[in-house]
Amino acid sequence: MANLLPRSRSARWLAAATLLLLAVLLVRHVLPPTARAAMVRADPDTVLADPALAAVALPLGRSVFARHCARCHGIAGEADAARGIPSLRDGEHLYGEGRVAEIESIVRHGIRSGDRKGWNLAAMPAYASARPYAAEPIPPLTPQGTKDVTQFLLGLARRSTDDAAAARGRRIYGGSGGCWDCHGVDARGDPAVGAPDLADPVWLYGGTAPAIRRSIAYGRGGTSPAFAKALDAAAIRAVSAYVASLSAPPPETP
Amino acid sequence: MTADPIPDDAVASGAWNLAGADARRSLALCAIGAVLGLAVAGYGLFTAQGTRTAGLPAEDAAIVNQVPILRTDVIQQLRALHDTDLAHATPAQRRQVIDDMIREELYVQRGIELGLANDDIDVRAALVAATEGQTAIEATTAGATDGELRAYFAAHRDAYAGEGTIELADWLVPVGQDARAPAIVAALRAGAAPQRQSLTRSGVMNDGEEYYFAARLHLGPALFAQAVRLADGAISPPVASGGRTHILIVRHNRPPAPVRFGDVRDRVLSDVVRDKVAGLERNNGRFLRQRADIRIAPDLE
Repeated sequence: MANLLPRSRSARWLAAATLLLLAVLLVRHVLPPTARAAMVRADPDTVLADPALAAVALPLGRSVFARHCARCHGIAGEADAARGIPSLRDGEHLYGEGRVAEIESIVRHGIRSGDRKGWNLAAMPAYASARPYAAEPIPPLTPQGTKDVTQFLLGLARRSTDDAAAARGRRIYGGSGGCWDCHGVDARGDPAVGAPDLADPVWLYGGTAPAIRRSIAYGRGGTSPAFAKALDAAAIRAVSAYVASLSAPPPETP
Repeated sequence: MTADPIPDDAVASGAWNLAGADARRSLALCAIGAVLGLAVAGYGLFTAQGTRTAGLPAEDAAIVNQVPILRTDVIQQLRALHDTDLAHATPAQRRQVIDDMIREELYVQRGIELGLANDDIDVRAALVAATEGQTAIEATTAGATDGELRAYFAAHRDAYAGEGTIELADWLVPVGQDARAPAIVAALRAGAAPQRQSLTRSGVMNDGEEYYFAARLHLGPALFAQAVRLADGAISPPVASGGRTHILIVRHNRPPAPVRFGDVRDRVLSDVVRDKVAGLERNNGRFLRQRADIRIAPDLE
């Protein structure tokens, strides 16, 4: 065996290169999966609070986000009202409360993505059409009704310019329009169906009167892809934790 | 057995002199290669998705006859059933959820064995819907570029115009006085009040301003076609519809207005994805038919 020990310079280089290759393979393909496996096995809602898990999740999540999510959400996760893109940094969540498990469900199964496990419960009806909502019968609104509901919604933030219209809009909201059914009688929304809070200052498609009127008249129904078959479990967990961290930074590590 | 020391001056011409052939070196490199190959193959065999046999993969809560039950599904069930998360669930809660999911998986597998996909209409409908859903997932995940969306918008601009609105009064000429209708129209255009001409309201279009789709429904196709051609304040000629003669007096008519791409981008995206899904489903249907062995009874062809 001693004859196999490298003694010449070229043999030493060959042995060193082989060892280096093995070390690289070990570090890239064996060790990280162990750390990633711990992250995947953990309760998703504990990942950010655990510095060791967060140290694995956040860098991986950032790179997954850049590759798969930034196309729509932008690299910084900022809102884009022109495209109905929500801010991922403002702590407001249409679906759920922003827990990693909830975000992971969205990443995995999407929103109106065709995945039957995804969020597909409701969409904003298009009230300026003969059949505003395919899923159930809702009567359309008149143009004046659309303006009245817009005034009512503006009034929730004391921005109404026509109190009489706002009063009529309130009656439509709580009556024939059926708006309360998803958005709640107090207009605070319902994260169980993805109905936004209409009383806060966050407007997915813009909060001006024309933008609100457009949403009422022509409906909304944003989508998010389902990545269950495009990403592995570690990537999904990591990007979910990363997205959660954008609005709730993990505690400082010493 | 001790190895012969290799003299320093022999090293350059020995086993590790790459300039020359050496049986021992060849054997050693072959052995190293074999070990590396086995290691790579073993790593792939025991860790690749679907072929893992060594332990439970990290993302799985259980495996039932090689079918995984995902941790994420367990977590969702814990939230749905017990309003708790994995870290705070009691062992009994975890066990109950996993047992329920294992039972479900076993029944699904048994159902497949029993051929329920062939026999049960609910199973068949669910399978069809789920298969169609896969197509939608592909299209949604692929998304669309901004260029695609703008091109689609340019090609279907009319479909995104705002809904027109109209407000008008629909007056009926008294029964038996249809011949007077042109004179009545002339009088109205001269400023006469409709009531002075013995006209009565038809009862439709009493809600004030209406969207075009609603006016079309209320007036019917003939009257609506006449109405949308009229400008603000215009009075229509007599129009026969539904066995009566109508005269329309338009207060406001706002035809559909073109919109900017940015205002309807989300609707365009939704329509592009919908069209992609339809195209993919057509292709899938063709592909499935091409590869299928389908025989139809001669008397039913």
